Amino acid sequence: MFEDRRIGLALAMPAAIFAAALFLVPVCILLSEGFRNADGWSLTPYFDFFASGRNRVVMLRTLKLAALVAGVSAVIGYATAFAIVSLPPASRGRMFAMVTLPLMISPVARTYAWLVILGRTGFVNQILVGSGLMDTPLRLLFTETAVFIGLLQLFLPLMIISLVSAMENMPRDAVPAARVLGANWVQVFFKVILPLTREGLVVGGTLVFTGSMTAYITPAILGGSKVLMLETLLYQRVSVANDFASASVIAMILIVMAFSANVLLKRMATARTRR
Amino acid sequence: MTAKRSRVGAAALGAALLPAAALAEGTLTISVYSFAQDEFQEIVYDPFMEICDCEIVVETGNSVERLAKIEANKDAPVIDMAVLSTHDALGAARKGLLAPIDVTSLKNHDKLYDIAKDPLGDNLGVGYTFYATSIVYRSDKVTVESWADLLSPELAGNVALPDVTTNQGPPALYMIGEAMGDADYSLSAPIEEVAAHADDIVTFYVRSSQLAQLMQQEEIWAAPVGRFAWASFKDNGLSMAWATPTEGQTGGMNVMVMTANNGNEDLATRFMDFWLSTEVQTKLAEALVDSPANAEVVVSDEIADNLTYGAETVASLKLLPPDVILDQRETWLDQWNSKVMK
Repeated sequence: MFEDRRIGLALAMPAAIFAAALFLVPVCILLSEGFRNADGWSLTPYFDFFASGRNRVVMLRTLKLAALVAGVSAVIGYATAFAIVSLPPASRGRMFAMVTLPLMISPVARTYAWLVILGRTGFVNQILVGSGLMDTPLRLLFTETAVFIGLLQLFLPLMIISLVSAMENMPRDAVPAARVLGANWVQVFFKVILPLTREGLVVGGTLVFTGSMTAYITPAILGGSKVLMLETLLYQRVSVANDFASASVIAMILIVMAFSANVLLKRMATARTRR
Repeated sequence: MTAKRSRVGAAALGAALLPAAALAEGTLTISVYSFAQDEFQEIVYDPFMEICDCEIVVETGNSVERLAKIEANKDAPVIDMAVLSTHDALGAARKGLLAPIDVTSLKNHDKLYDIAKDPLGDNLGVGYTFYATSIVYRSDKVTVESWADLLSPELAGNVALPDVTTNQGPPALYMIGEAMGDADYSLSAPIEEVAAHADDIVTFYVRSSQLAQLMQQEEIWAAPVGRFAWASFKDNGLSMAWATPTEGQTGGMNVMVMTANNGNEDLATRFMDFWLSTEVQTKLAEALVDSPANAEVVVSDEIADNLTYGAETVASLKLLPPDVILDQRETWLDQWNSKVMK
């Protein structure tokens, strides 16, 4: 864009300095805590962290729930996004606004609402008991199910938004053409829609997976200390035990997982297209 | 942001810009729990500022954050006095962060209950409030007469316990151990017992404020809790009762401490004395903020019902010694993580 490349660099410099000074440097300092012990540089904090069975359970639980939330939100997201882009423009705008509306409400308020809905005397149990499906109310709060529901509700809009914008960029006649040529809906999805919307899926998947992994409020309120996730464990290590080394290890794991998820999703999307 | 600045005036601004020692004379920096700060401002800080013609800068936060700050500024203390639990205060003392308090300058020291006068030894702390910990429960659903009842079949699936990392956790476990006939400070037996019943426990709470809602939603019928939280249960429209278990009640004590070499010892001591006075302790009790450590405080029966009040109650509390909590904390946490949180 610029004839003189130096002008471009000069324009980018303030943002680069800002990011380096106020983000990269503090993050590096924090992460370096995980590579130190009383004697100097060491990997002991990492060995200690992975030696604990509880920590491994928490890490696997975090991975499992984040992957599950990303997977389920992709399924629901595709159906919703397809329905939205099939609507006339006026209705599409209204539907899109409804999808984005929850994002304008604080996650704390949304999560507290689940505390009421999923409680023993809450809406879900009233229906289950009232309809005769259950004799006694189910214990839903402080379970992985509660955390899953809370995270799904929290991040589903991000997946839908990503997929709607990806689908809007699809050629309008791609799906009808595939149908006319005899493809069933499963083939249409895997051979036409998925390859053409892979960027949206990668963006949405990364946002939902990373968001679920790093969410604090929802696992803290709906899971409590019985359903610890990496983020709630990190907070516990810092605020209760003043153990910055473990916290730094957890932060590093979260960063690595987020980058890995992004790379993996991109690879999966590319591999499917090449096939 | 947990730090709250009180009176953002010239002195407070100066405190942020200049070394603490430079304006130590007119400014007292205190480190306190974030709980009930509006009441403390009205009952303690504002009246003291009028008397001393000084400014009070208030730093709030949880114990770990506040202790970390005191330790980080060890060589040039920013905090002059702090209030902490007895075991956190002892931890700070062992790190050399505290100085003895000149109790001869505390006019109200003699008025304190004996166990509040020197709970850490060497006058490193003065107790200013207590709390009893017992079991709050739904009297229309169950009867709780022992700490062992928390793990009884009647309460299975309807009970919350404090997490071991909370101040209520270890004392409650100790009392469960006592009910089991094993009152050992290792807490191995009660932790094993809780682990065996982990599926019956709705949650291991980290904040007592969480419990009021769980009780209201009928998620739980019973939980061990500090007496300071009783007010949030007793008028919730449900049949609530405070258990008097056969093994007795446990609890905790908070202390005031003086940071070492802060250069502001005189003002900090005057402030402590003011806080311990019968008048201030009575007002704090009447506002249901803190149970008094000053034995001369007299309050109505209605107020007393919400507090840990009276010589007899205070003497009957089975408090865990601070050195035990401090020395055993890591072991308890390891056992808890490997058995209960496995």
